[in-house]
Amino acid sequence: MATHALSPAAVAGYRGGLYEWLTTTDHKKIGILYVINSFLFFLIGGIFALLVRAELAAPGLQLFQNEHVYNESFTIHATVMIFLFIIPMLAGLGNFAVPLMIGAPDMAFPRINALSFWMLPLGGILLLMGFLTPGGAAAAGWTSYPPLAGNSPLASPGPGQDLWIASLVLIGTSSILGGINFLVTIFKMRAPGMTLFRMPIMVWTVLVTSILVVMATPVITSAIVMLYIDRNLGGSFFNPESGGIAVLYQNVFWFYSHPAVYVMVLPAMGVISEVLPVFSRKPLFGYKAFVFATAGIGALGFSVWAHHMFTTGAVFLPFFSLMTFLIAVPTGVKMFNWVFTMFRGQLTFSTPLLFAVGFLTMFLIGGINGAFSASVPVDFALHDTYWVVAHLHYVLFGGSAFGVFAGIYYWFPKMTGRMLDEGLGKVQFVLMFIGFNLTFFPMHILGVKGMPRRIADYASGAGWNDWNLVATIGGFLIGLSMLPFIWNVFVSLRNGKVAGNDPWEGNTLEWATTSPPPPYNFDRLPEIRSERPLFDARHGLVGHGEPEPGPALLEQPAPSGEVPAAPDDEAGVGEQTTTGEDLETKR
Amino acid sequence: MVLLLIAVVAVVFLTGAGSALYPPAPATDQAREIASLYDIVFAIAVAIFVAVEGLIVWSIIRYRRKPTDTDLPPQTHGNNFVEVLWTLIPTVIVLYLFVISWQTLNNIEAVSVDPDVRVHAVAGQFQWQFEYLDANGQVLATQSVPVADQGGGMAVPVGRTVYVTLDSPDVIHAWYVPRFLFKRDVVPGQTNHFEFTLDPSEAGQTYRGQCAELCGTGHRVMLFDVLALSQADFDAWLAALIEKSNATPPPLPSGATTLTLSAENIAYDTLELEVPADTPFAIQFANNDPPGVPHDADIRETDNTTVVQDQPTIDGGTSTTYTYDPLPAGTYTFICSVHPIPAMTGTLTVR
Repeated sequence: MATHALSPAAVAGYRGGLYEWLTTTDHKKIGILYVINSFLFFLIGGIFALLVRAELAAPGLQLFQNEHVYNESFTIHATVMIFLFIIPMLAGLGNFAVPLMIGAPDMAFPRINALSFWMLPLGGILLLMGFLTPGGAAAAGWTSYPPLAGNSPLASPGPGQDLWIASLVLIGTSSILGGINFLVTIFKMRAPGMTLFRMPIMVWTVLVTSILVVMATPVITSAIVMLYIDRNLGGSFFNPESGGIAVLYQNVFWFYSHPAVYVMVLPAMGVISEVLPVFSRKPLFGYKAFVFATAGIGALGFSVWAHHMFTTGAVFLPFFSLMTFLIAVPTGVKMFNWVFTMFRGQLTFSTPLLFAVGFLTMFLIGGINGAFSASVPVDFALHDTYWVVAHLHYVLFGGSAFGVFAGIYYWFPKMTGRMLDEGLGKVQFVLMFIGFNLTFFPMHILGVKGMPRRIADYASGAGWNDWNLVATIGGFLIGLSMLPFIWNVFVSLRNGKVAGNDPWEGNTLEWATTSPPPPYNFDRLPEIRSERPLFDARHGLVGHGEPEPGPALLEQPAPSGEVPAAPDDEAGVGEQTTTGEDLETKR
Repeated sequence: MVLLLIAVVAVVFLTGAGSALYPPAPATDQAREIASLYDIVFAIAVAIFVAVEGLIVWSIIRYRRKPTDTDLPPQTHGNNFVEVLWTLIPTVIVLYLFVISWQTLNNIEAVSVDPDVRVHAVAGQFQWQFEYLDANGQVLATQSVPVADQGGGMAVPVGRTVYVTLDSPDVIHAWYVPRFLFKRDVVPGQTNHFEFTLDPSEAGQTYRGQCAELCGTGHRVMLFDVLALSQADFDAWLAALIEKSNATPPPLPSGATTLTLSAENIAYDTLELEVPADTPFAIQFANNDPPGVPHDADIRETDNTTVVQDQPTIDGGTSTTYTYDPLPAGTYTFICSVHPIPAMTGTLTVR
């Protein structure tokens, strides 16, 4: 039980700074490690993206005399961004925030938590080591469809593709362990009074995400293990020459990778569902509808995978078209919930809200242009063109990455005790917002005009020159927007405004403790009577029925004491509420 | 609000501001169906975009926190009526889109019992070949030069049903012509098919097509052209192609050196060849790869790109004799134009 980790003996010995960070099992430190590691891989993935954009700025081969290296670049760009940036970055924000938000002292399995984190840098290094092998890194696209990902001379004969497989197996295992850890934490470690329907939306989205991860990740792992067997052990799962089926891989791959899109976007939706109410001074509009919409997206997400395969000629088209259209409904519900949260609110445009509004405006485009591809005949025209590149970046960059930055600006004070600079934050937002739209909006036009993905060059007479140049300029603007952010982090860590416990007038439990919180998170918890315990503590229970004046903060019971159980409480909470007062005296 | 919305949508359509987001002019009956479906999807998309984006922008401008805002705003937790409304209305919209998409799909996927022209397109790394078939599926002639610049292309008659079957000997490719608003994957081990009919007014047009599914290092060079011809021109074109296919190669000039070269597993059997200077020579070239994997032996400068003498590709399982004009002394590259990889890039020494 987590209580043991909090016993004074566990942290009695002094541990030096670096050693502490390398061996920590504290969910907050692990969360921060996730964020730092993911950000480093974001920079690496970004450099590959800029190389690709530089090559495409004008017709003719400028950068890559060897086009194989170009294929490696976009393959590694996408693999890094998806598996080493977005997924672990959101897992990291969840790792930091979820135990705090439900009033738990740590994740359920702190050592497994550390294990899941440390698999990530290892997986990333394995992936990048492909560049040192003869034949280079994986170059068959992040989707790695066989037979192109097979081992024949013109496909992917080198060890780079095997390293890609090994890396993804590791990262997948990390995801599964993390998912199980989140599920147990959320189901078993909530503070007294924190019923499921009082959980912050962020926790709900992490819950649904974890279910998706635990159900879907084993499927992609099996797909790429089969690919490994085909490549190295003479298997023929996907090799038509010996009776295999090439499209089978795509079915298994997308059975994971479509739900993975929701793994990449749901927690970001959770972040902005925390940010929008706080900076609008209103509750989230339609909390329960939002929860059901999240669950609905998670469930429908398993029935749309073949919409990535409409042109293979091996898909039952009407079913997947219908399901894909239907998934727009819960997504639309969320969009309206967010907008009506701001509606009639009192908006304070701090940097987290700017990024959250950026998420709204661009995720809307990413949702609408996705509906084009749900229509099978229209998808015949748009599939595998730059339209799809635009679509996925509006979802994953305009959506998820903006959500990530909203989350970083929002929780940085809680993580470090200091505020990020607002001025630099706004500069970053403006550069990133303009750069993003310059890069990715023109890709709609390029795609409609017929430019396929994953080509190193194009004829100058094809009519794609101008928009490609615009996209490249925008791409470098995005790159530039990282400089004020990095500078901001360094400056604010040293000289940033001291945050205090609750700089944003937050709603959720993490703002009830110190910044940064102590290792065991809470000395005492406010009474939890709604999804906004801190708001209730500040203003009384407005809109939750009878306002209850009086002392809002309750002293937590002593470690060994009996907990006054809330009606819908779960067994075993008495142990979780240990707060380690003994520990405090020893520090 | 609604009036403003209608006004904005009208402006987008009437001024052509949305034309950048419009697909190219459809060339086939099927493409026209897709284009009109695209119009409907696009109109609904613009309407939803303007409405919701407008609501967002209006909210962030109208509801900024003012210094006088010390009291909390109304703490609205939800409203069942509007929530049901914004669940039901989008459901109706997407069901409508689904139904019209399905109808269009059935129209463009329809295949005639007896198509006028049958083409079997073979996509191999990194080259297209088009086999013209008779009603029994027998090959009449093979077009192995896929692009119009080199005098090739896949010619088809306008106003006739053209039935295309797709096969790949190696990896997955995709047959994509932007002006057809259509692509279909070419999957090894699975024969895909589709049908199209070019508009009669399109005679004389050439459409650029390209592989749309990443297929390796030469993915971007997998170009082809579709030539739209009148029935008479097409008949003449096909007759010429059949004649060319049956023609015997011209006799070798006397005194010529003849070398042998073969290709197997996408590699030449030798990477060093030597011929005398200023004399014509020939290479007996055997392609021992499976059918669908074409090779050739072009002569280029040692930069591997500047073409000195070009030769047509031959399909896997066949052989030919390439004749070359005299070359001045020096070092050249002989290379497979389809697979310009090290294993198919050799040195030709002329002395």
